[in-house]
Amino acid sequence: MANTWGYGAMTNSLGDIQNAKAIIIFGANPAVNHPVGFGHFLKAKERNNAQIIVVDPRMTKTAAKADIYAQIRPGTDIPFMYGMLHLIFKNGWHDEKFINDRVYAMDEVMEEAKKWTPEKVEDVTGVSVEKLMQITRVYSRSTPGTLIWAMGLTQHNIGSSNTRLAPIIQLALGNMGVEGGGTNILRGHDNVQGATDMCCLSHTLPGYYGLSAGSWKYFAKSWGVDYEWLAGRFKDKKMMSAKGFSLSRWYAGVLAGKPGEDKIHNAGTNLKALFVMGNGITSIAQQAKVKEALDDLELIVLADPFVNEAAILTDKQDDVFILPAATQFETSGSVTATNRSAQWRSKVVEPLYESKTDHEVMFELAKRLGFYGEYTKGMLIRENKKEFTFPEDATDEIARIIKTIGLTGWTAERIKKHTDNWHMFDKVSLRGFGPMKGEYYGLPWPCWTETHSGSPILYNISLPVKEGGMGFRNRFGVEREGVDLLAGKGSAPVGSANPDGYPEITAENIEEVLGITLTDEEKAKIGKNWKVDTSNIIAQKCMEAGIAPYGNAKARAKVWTFPDPIPIHREPLHSPRSDLTKAHPTYKDKENHYRVDTKYASVQSEKDWSKDFPVNLVTGRLVNMNGAGVAERGSKYLAALTPEMFCDMHPDLAFNLGIKNGNMIWIHSPEGTKIKVKAKFSFSVSPDRVFLPFHYAGHFQGEDLSHKYPEGTTPYAVGESANTVTNYGYDIITQIPETKGGLCHIEKA
Amino acid sequence: MGELARMKFYCDDQRCIDCDGCSVACAEAHELPTGVSRRKVITLNEGIFGKEFSTSVACMHCTDAPCEQVCPVDCFYIREDGIVLHDKEICIGCGYCLYACPFGAPQFPRDGAFGTKGAMDKCTMCAGGPEETNSAKERELYGQNRISEGKVPVCAAMCSTKALLVGDGQAIADIYRKRVASRGHGVQSSPYGWGSAYGK
Repeated sequence: MANTWGYGAMTNSLGDIQNAKAIIIFGANPAVNHPVGFGHFLKAKERNNAQIIVVDPRMTKTAAKADIYAQIRPGTDIPFMYGMLHLIFKNGWHDEKFINDRVYAMDEVMEEAKKWTPEKVEDVTGVSVEKLMQITRVYSRSTPGTLIWAMGLTQHNIGSSNTRLAPIIQLALGNMGVEGGGTNILRGHDNVQGATDMCCLSHTLPGYYGLSAGSWKYFAKSWGVDYEWLAGRFKDKKMMSAKGFSLSRWYAGVLAGKPGEDKIHNAGTNLKALFVMGNGITSIAQQAKVKEALDDLELIVLADPFVNEAAILTDKQDDVFILPAATQFETSGSVTATNRSAQWRSKVVEPLYESKTDHEVMFELAKRLGFYGEYTKGMLIRENKKEFTFPEDATDEIARIIKTIGLTGWTAERIKKHTDNWHMFDKVSLRGFGPMKGEYYGLPWPCWTETHSGSPILYNISLPVKEGGMGFRNRFGVEREGVDLLAGKGSAPVGSANPDGYPEITAENIEEVLGITLTDEEKAKIGKNWKVDTSNIIAQKCMEAGIAPYGNAKARAKVWTFPDPIPIHREPLHSPRSDLTKAHPTYKDKENHYRVDTKYASVQSEKDWSKDFPVNLVTGRLVNMNGAGVAERGSKYLAALTPEMFCDMHPDLAFNLGIKNGNMIWIHSPEGTKIKVKAKFSFSVSPDRVFLPFHYAGHFQGEDLSHKYPEGTTPYAVGESANTVTNYGYDIITQIPETKGGLCHIEKA
Repeated sequence: MGELARMKFYCDDQRCIDCDGCSVACAEAHELPTGVSRRKVITLNEGIFGKEFSTSVACMHCTDAPCEQVCPVDCFYIREDGIVLHDKEICIGCGYCLYACPFGAPQFPRDGAFGTKGAMDKCTMCAGGPEETNSAKERELYGQNRISEGKVPVCAAMCSTKALLVGDGQAIADIYRKRVASRGHGVQSSPYGWGSAYGK
């Protein structure tokens, strides 16, 4: 998404979904994973006659509330979406003016879409010609339409193509930058958007600044530390700018060098220590490898309010430390919601017993490692303080430094004021009343200045920039192969000093684009461009001129730096349709992908996996649990709803395998791993596939590990992790694991 | 309000998504033994498109409560606001009320060790029991008394989609009438931007 139009975040908001006339949901199950947010979907249906369309391998609780449901084969979203685009272009349902003014290279998408006739789509996806036509017609004709997705779309080796083609549908229909439209990606946990914005990731600095030397220098300066000192902490400057391991592949960093393991590029050394802060690493793919890696580490530190089940999974006996972390109720600070809004969370109680807050753990660690002064200095700079107050000064530090996503307006004081005046905002538009007039709830980013309203809907040109309007971001240059990448004539946000497309604002072009003259004093203070201008002169001048600091460009349907510039269908590595892998093969194996050589073609072409593993395997969540599930399985009432790990299975499949409802079964994966779980008959899956919830741990390949929990900490429910049998497969751009489209073999236990 | 309230539940099956927020909130708030479901979400035709639906069921606090009529020891009593309660110290746990109840509401703790909720247990609409209001004994036998504190019963307070409504029958009817009346009439919100709402 960021590669399509500038930012990789939900474009509208949950409340705004009420404005939709049609809601199409790919690979998301909000009725289960976002039950409160799903109320907005139901209200759209009640009040707005919105048509809810669900495209999912399973008849989910969300589909139970839908008007139309298509049961799609896992991993074939791209053919389905091209089938929609095929019909949209053929019938002239696309928004030509929007495409001409605001989209680059849609013509190449049109060419690819021509190949995907409804008949071909039916063959590949399993969705009938009639249903595809019905869905496309309803979705294209009921505007505005909003497009929803979650991990069902992203967790594939072609996830990064899925998440580009979905926005392309919205661009083709002109559904972007409008109320009730947009691509609304639902975040899966509390504050995931905030964690992403702060880049708890291995490939970029906070605020998506990347890892280039220039970005490091900007942060060194903003943190008040010496760049050379920072660089000295790394093996060399090359490693300083190299992407790190991803969460999904950290194990490869430990296991490299063993027979059959993927090669790593980690400056000549394996990973030796693991520090986990509140991450359920028992819910990531390849649990057998995760276990082996845990066993091989020299040091494991697990900071968590509950016993992180990594400690149960491993056989490692020494140097495994479990630190009791405080919960959200025992600390305070800002959190960012799925729609880019901030809220302030207050402390309810002091940390219980010997538990410590996350920041205290990090401060203490920094002291022991000898850089506490440098680590905390950034919090003193804004007001030239001697001592900082946490977390307020951290929030203000973020506001001071992060310009890329417009956090300048997110001071602790403003966020608190919003939370305290929660009742003074409209629930749908987020618009404030009374003392909050002129601001949207939680100041959804970009919030360009300390008086900016926030931006409830990204890329909306019908509002002035200072009230949240903007075009698409100018992020990929101003011209490509002779084609102008800036937005077309007259497509600037209303009230703009420049009515057309314009580039991102720099010290050099600001006078020309805005039509202003800077004073000498301003010229002396201004930063090089909008992303590093801590003087805020660029942002302020832009607000006065109605200009978005990041420019006004076209969204791009073609990403020329990706292996597939236009998204194309590629069969999963383990495909049940081996007859299609020749026509739609996967990628070539990729070297040094987040430091790990990653296999694609060599796995897919190794053999016809579907012969020995004929059943499709999808995983997902249950409404009563979250993530690795240890917190919920530790609650007797939540555990009582699903006390045992199970496998949803169609009775026809079960009958053919001689399995009765409630029988124990073995599920085998192409990785040579297996799990023992209970069969549960369900019509939500078709006979060619099964579903596994991924919240369980405490059993491993048939062995009960309950005895390994520290006394009194065994959860009420333990069971096999679905991720012991999810298949090898990682996205070509992001390394996200392919948990939603693997294969398995099932037998009665 | 001069007239007495008549407390009622209503669950809108167009909105209920089987999240079990109501039943878990109930069990947690009243510290119920597992196996006692004062409230339960029932889903029919699960997994079949177009036929699956869910609704949340508990004691419906009948005006002419069959449980009260058949109870051999007369342990039931109906409050002026219509909430049907019973006295666990009179109840003999015979289960006759379960025969009479059209909703399967009466529950019977299975394990002696968890028998703190007495012979028969059921939804109190968060109104406690005959013991002194908010006393330790009331809490032990019947759970929280939120009604006495002016709070909405915990199930409806927790309901994620506001499918489950509870309160005076008239108030429930008004909420539901508004929902029906608003069908197809568009979003209840003010427009984006401030210009059109306030003038410039």
